[in-house]
Amino acid sequence: MNTEERQLTETLHRITPEPPRHVTVEDVALRLANQAGPGRQPRYRRRPYREPRLRRPSSRGWGRAWAPALAAASVFVVAGATAGIAVLASSHHGPASAGSAARDTTSGAPASSSPATTPTPASPAGTLTAIPGGPWGARLVDHLALMQYSLTGNGDSLYAFTAQDLVRIDPATGAIARSAPVSSAVPNAPVVLGSAVWVVSSYAGGRVILDGYDAQTLDHVLSATVPAAGQVSDAAQGVLAGGPDGYLYVAAGDSVAVVNPANGALVRRIQQPSGPASSVAVSPDGRRLYVSTFFQAGQKFQLLTYDLTEGIQVGSSSVSVGAGGNLVATSGGVWGTLGSGTSEWVWFAPGGDLSPASPVIRGAGGGFASLPALAGGAVWIGGTHTLACADAGTGSVLASGAIPADHGTAEYFGSVAYAGGHAYAYYIDNQSQTQGVAALTPPAACIK
Amino acid sequence: MDTLTGVDRPAEPDGFRDFVASRSPALLRSGWLLTGDWASAEDLVQTALAAAWTRWANLQRQDAPELYVRKIMINTFLRWRQRRWNGEIATGRLPELAAYGDVFAQVDARQALLAALDRLPARQRAVVVLRYFADQTETQTAAAMGCSVGAVKSHAAKALARLRDAPGLAELMTGGVAS
Repeated sequence: MNTEERQLTETLHRITPEPPRHVTVEDVALRLANQAGPGRQPRYRRRPYREPRLRRPSSRGWGRAWAPALAAASVFVVAGATAGIAVLASSHHGPASAGSAARDTTSGAPASSSPATTPTPASPAGTLTAIPGGPWGARLVDHLALMQYSLTGNGDSLYAFTAQDLVRIDPATGAIARSAPVSSAVPNAPVVLGSAVWVVSSYAGGRVILDGYDAQTLDHVLSATVPAAGQVSDAAQGVLAGGPDGYLYVAAGDSVAVVNPANGALVRRIQQPSGPASSVAVSPDGRRLYVSTFFQAGQKFQLLTYDLTEGIQVGSSSVSVGAGGNLVATSGGVWGTLGSGTSEWVWFAPGGDLSPASPVIRGAGGGFASLPALAGGAVWIGGTHTLACADAGTGSVLASGAIPADHGTAEYFGSVAYAGGHAYAYYIDNQSQTQGVAALTPPAACIK
Repeated sequence: MDTLTGVDRPAEPDGFRDFVASRSPALLRSGWLLTGDWASAEDLVQTALAAAWTRWANLQRQDAPELYVRKIMINTFLRWRQRRWNGEIATGRLPELAAYGDVFAQVDARQALLAALDRLPARQRAVVVLRYFADQTETQTAAAMGCSVGAVKSHAAKALARLRDAPGLAELMTGGVAS
């Protein structure tokens, strides 16, 4: 090796960080289990490039006639985007702008001074694009690029995170109705509680910062700083939940903090005897609090159950698997994910006990996440294999639909949400480079 | 029977656990240099280790488990780069930092390093990681990539030429920020 090569070698070893967690034999066993059986991952095959399948309805000659102009425009857009990336990348030392004003993206008003994203034009109502082979009559409502885990519904609105913003989406048109410049510091969908949407805007060290936004206007209404007991978990997945009592429950180090969303005050702290909480969920009747912890050293995933009325721990069970979390509580128990990397199973633990827990469906692979979501009285699980609805009480699958593969490349349906009485999922097709919110028509068995 | 996955777990081969425990940190770091993020790095390493599990006895006989795992990692990475939509979304907001001061410098250094590696085509990037991070010889690198030693030399030379022009990397190579 010459000097330059030795310098590069030294630089690579010095700068490359230590991994936040290690891969274990259990992770690999889980991966093997994922690959086993008839539903194994679609094989990736070489094939010539083809045009994306999903197109807006248009006359045959439209695309050809405008192709040169569109090509030139796309070059311009890419160049502009690249310049934007450079500007953004160079300004990362600046303060967070969680408290900045919301933007009205429908009125045509000028954007605020924050680095605004141009809203993606949505398909007008009535021109939804059918997704070929998609489960449950899936039709693409818009082409928004969202965070996979983030779609959630309330009333007539959908909420999600784009790369930089919290957005409220009108599902009738697929358009972004309002946006606020805040993103989640951990994988956690926005939590709608009362008339506010809550976001974990900071999750590090010894404190958690929650920011509340008006559910309609997305104007910032309140910021709550919650001191953690010790350090917050570095394996956090789903750390904020809303309780039926109207309080926010947030994993805050070796405790779960109960926060009053009206004033941001800490109402109560439930101590964790077994390390930093990585995920929380509250049962629909408000009686049970489920908390998960994960220990990297022993690869031990633990689920704790608390009786909120008595304020005591009533259950504890654990399994030795890769990281888990993303808890969702229902009348019959608690749901969650396991598996690290990006390959996950979704399980159901009746009564909060992991001992009799069973897998509900295989989740996702290839860079996608699969999270359970409680909506419309059922639990919905997507991923890259199956889109399913399951009984919230028993964990049994009520109906399922196969998720297609686009010429060998996995497609993704996940993050199911309900709004305005309709079901929606977030859809990604890497092959045709298409993504967006998809409207679903689930089987009657799923509707409670 | 694994209660949660509901499937019979295949018998764990002798020595596999020790290999995973001892080598996964280094493999993950290689995966991070290849992909630029930990989730994809874990995906890459798990995929390779799962492939190694099923033929572990043969690999041990040939005394080449790590070479095989790296080969699978590289092939999987190259396939991903061919087939996957690398639809990264640029963001002005960085992941949360635990502290200030030197941490900023570390983040800057890592970003500069990844940005420099992003300038490389997939095969050149793979050669850089294997040769200069994983300390593989040219022969081993060629074996892992399924190409000739000459091709490895060619990729390495081109990669070094491109990295020479990468903003910030020269300062890292001559100055340095503690990791």
